[in-house]
Amino acid sequence: MTETTQTTPLSLSLRASRSRRLQMLPIIEIVVLVIGALLPLVLKDYLTVYATRVLILCLFALSFDLVWGYAGIMSFGQAVFFGTAGYGVALLARDLGVTSILLVLPAGLLIGLAFALLLGGFLLLGRHPSSVIFVSLGTLTGSYAADRVARGWYYLGGQNGIPSIPPMSLGSYDITEGPVYYYLTLGILVLVYLLCRFLVRSQFGLALAGLRENEQRIAFVGYQVQRLKAIIFSFAGAVAGLAGSLYAFHEGFVWPNMLGVVISTQVVLYVLFGGSGTLIGAVIGTVAIEAVSFWLSNSYQDIWPIILGVLLLLVILFRPAGLISLVLSERERVGNFGRPPGKGDHGSS
Amino acid sequence: MDNLFVALFEILSFGAIVVLVVLGLGIIASMMGIFNFAQGEFVLLGAYVTYIVHSAGLPVWLGMLAAPFVVGALGFFLERTIVRRFYAAPIVAMLGTYALGLIIREIVRGLIGGLYLSVPEPLGGSVTIGTMHFSTWRLVIILITALVMIGSYLLLARTTFGLRIRASLENPALARASGISTNAIYGATFAFGAALAGLAGALIVPVFSLFADLGLRFLIQGFVAVMVGGVGSFAGPVAGAGVIGTLAAALPWIIPPVIADVLVFVLAIIFIKFRPQGLISTKGV
Repeated sequence: MTETTQTTPLSLSLRASRSRRLQMLPIIEIVVLVIGALLPLVLKDYLTVYATRVLILCLFALSFDLVWGYAGIMSFGQAVFFGTAGYGVALLARDLGVTSILLVLPAGLLIGLAFALLLGGFLLLGRHPSSVIFVSLGTLTGSYAADRVARGWYYLGGQNGIPSIPPMSLGSYDITEGPVYYYLTLGILVLVYLLCRFLVRSQFGLALAGLRENEQRIAFVGYQVQRLKAIIFSFAGAVAGLAGSLYAFHEGFVWPNMLGVVISTQVVLYVLFGGSGTLIGAVIGTVAIEAVSFWLSNSYQDIWPIILGVLLLLVILFRPAGLISLVLSERERVGNFGRPPGKGDHGSS
Repeated sequence: MDNLFVALFEILSFGAIVVLVVLGLGIIASMMGIFNFAQGEFVLLGAYVTYIVHSAGLPVWLGMLAAPFVVGALGFFLERTIVRRFYAAPIVAMLGTYALGLIIREIVRGLIGGLYLSVPEPLGGSVTIGTMHFSTWRLVIILITALVMIGSYLLLARTTFGLRIRASLENPALARASGISTNAIYGATFAFGAALAGLAGALIVPVFSLFADLGLRFLIQGFVAVMVGGVGSFAGPVAGAGVIGTLAAALPWIIPPVIADVLVFVLAIIFIKFRPQGLISTKGV
């Protein structure tokens, strides 16, 4: 807390360097957007399909980044919302024949929101404030339980999941995988991204970042800490649900792994690798890991998970602020008012 | 009547397995304040060491004897080189040890593939009482679990080493000032926890076979058990493991296994929510 005692010339120079560096984030965002928009024009068809999947995972990563990177809630089971929404829309399509994009995407969003309200409300609200470990264990357990239920329930297809979901439709037009699906996903991603960006830069977002840095102090200032957490958790659940429903229709099937521990930890990895607490970091992390994964998966399928583990370890040890911190000053992370990078970061409560 | 006894025996032996698996986890969580997500992989390694020794043509029990030492040594090495850097925050420790566990698990998966490898019981057959048959190996597991529990308790409660561990937990700064090397203590505690996991893996491998996700199978169960029992003491995790193990073994006799499995966790999480300090909230041993 030495900032307050700094002499005027020093704080002036600080401010100058801040305003110079603040340019960086929008530039990265625009570059990523332009690349994203042009990609299908240069990629082969099967790569566009792969890229669409990556974009959906980016959306999913955003949802995790909101809870962890901004509010400091370790959701080790974010896939619950992704997967239940996927299963939900798959059932809508299979049993009720509902495939209209105007119905299934909002449905997925609502399913994610509902489950996140339930789980988040239970884990985060209440008389005793929950510990970080309890919330992470609770979400992990939720994810494990959902996975078990999906595997064991015949109605949900058991181990095999629900295959051959009909394509999403708009009127009489079927939205099948390819450039159209890609741009649809990109559009949704950009919309959600902008919404999140607005949110985290609002007063609400600042309060969240304050939570991440020092929960007691934020509570002392008069914020309803638990309620803030529950709100962002539910919002993130809705985003994950939206991603899950996009994923289900894109792949054309859902299976228990969509709910489970593996994809839950994968999303943790995306965000940590890219840089938690910056929205674009989540996107970059997802793209980077999925790109390497794609490149390696043909020849080194067996050692790829080991490499992932090593990457995760290295990031935690040496670059807690992620890849993005190579080009982005720590100052630009919302709520990080000039703290040195990586010091006392996360979970100190 | 006989069926009841057989069921009770099944439940007891499964409870013993869970206690065995959880003991090391609980000691590390209680004494060091970190949740070691690589603990499941220490169990896996214990099983793997046993398998390697057996497949080298040596007796199985020799492998089981070697497992805790090998895994304990590895635990010590990992703590000294990597894990100690995670102590800054509980979440960092959780993620870091998770990454370690992931690496170990995938290496083992690379070595054995998707196979289920079996290891014979050193003491096969069954003990017959009246018309009831009890698996000898499961009886041995119950016995060894009891011995390990008593041994660990004595180690922590009655020895100087235990006193130093507890002092380091209670007040690290004061412990250091009194000439206790808390760093060495943390290393030794972590190694001890890892060794217990190694032993657990070695003993259960004849029952569950060896497969890459063996540790994962027990990990969530272990954490939930520790939280239910209460972190901060020796008795807490043991009590938690007893409750969770008993429920996990008993419920499938009454309701469908999948529902039972999920129900155990749901009940446990609800319990932790309303009693975050756990069953046993006293600190110390």
